[in-house]
Amino acid sequence: MPTDARTNNEVGVSQLEDEGVELRMSADPTQLSIARAVAADIAMRQDFDLDSIEDLKLAVDETCSTLITMAAHKAVLSCRFVVNDDAVHVHAQVSSGSSAPPDRESFGWRVLTALVDSVTTWVDPASTGDGHVVHIDLVKRSAGAVNG
Amino acid sequence: MTGSDSGDYDHLAPLFVELAATEEGPRREALRDELVTAHLPVAKHIARRFGHRGEPYEDLVQVATVGLINAVDRFDPERGSDFLSFAVPTIMGEVRKYFRDSSWSVRMPRRLKELHLAINSGTARLSQQLGRAPTPSELATHLGMTREEIHEGLAAGNAYQSASLDDMLMSDESSISLGSTLGTEDPEIEMIEQREALHPLLQRLPERERKIVIMRFFGNMTQTQIAQKVGISQMHVSRLLAKTLRQLREVLEEN
Repeated sequence: MPTDARTNNEVGVSQLEDEGVELRMSADPTQLSIARAVAADIAMRQDFDLDSIEDLKLAVDETCSTLITMAAHKAVLSCRFVVNDDAVHVHAQVSSGSSAPPDRESFGWRVLTALVDSVTTWVDPASTGDGHVVHIDLVKRSAGAVNG
Repeated sequence: MTGSDSGDYDHLAPLFVELAATEEGPRREALRDELVTAHLPVAKHIARRFGHRGEPYEDLVQVATVGLINAVDRFDPERGSDFLSFAVPTIMGEVRKYFRDSSWSVRMPRRLKELHLAINSGTARLSQQLGRAPTPSELATHLGMTREEIHEGLAAGNAYQSASLDDMLMSDESSISLGSTLGTEDPEIEMIEQREALHPLLQRLPERERKIVIMRFFGNMTQTQIAQKVGISQMHVSRLLAKTLRQLREVLEEN
């Protein structure tokens, strides 16, 4: 998904029929609380157990923070939440000047892997041909009983 | 003899009659002081009853004492009732007013505060029963509430992350010495600490925070398991983890 030219500190929320909820915000730490709140709300409405809700919240926080540190100037951080098979999938991405992926030896990566069922990261060349796009995907299931 | 025995205070009744008959002046001040001081155990007793709500005991004693002073000033012995039956509701009213007005740095509606507290204690009970954290619908069933109400309460907990909220969750917990609960002689944690050759940043964390971080991210324990082990609420573990991660991140970014 190409990032548009929106640069002010706005958060865009769009609800897409099959693609869940997407947050688009400036890659700025002041926006983290919004991403956390949306993550918590989605997990809560999936009736995740409280531990899993908190885990997802922390994981989204960590993911977005990681991407923010890698973001190009005035980049837009996108965070998309999709519920699928009782799991919450989070697709986060940001444009970056560097092609280096997040450090998988870091403490932050350790935190992510401990918090969610799966976490993957990769870097694409930007579709505009200028710079790169860093992706982090998470999958989180509830550890507790899932009541349909 | 116990402090709650109202008989202890009967001998003070004549002083109230004297106070009512005394004009403004040093004698009145002395009488007033004597009555307030003599009834301080009542104020302390009431303060203790509210102690589990997370406000420091000393603060509550002060508020209760203000209530006591008001009660001494307003009590009319002519009315025939005894002082305690007038003073106790007055003091409790003052303490309740304090909780209502000032104890939350971010004002949370009373109903939400109560909902939040109910969810917190319900979570503790259910975690004990289930051996894991409950889901919102399990909490709803347990507390006889709707899922929407539970959602609202949980969201309120997220929205009102104020210092007071943390204090509230601390209340009883802070009395437990965490050092002794966690111990340094936990072989599992010792092993992980050695094996992982932890980042020096972790070593600089306060002991409790470091142990919690290790248990969660290296020991594969859930927040609920950590909460039970450390003797604090799951919500408090959650806050400590979030806070510690934020701090670690800030330090890492500075470097």
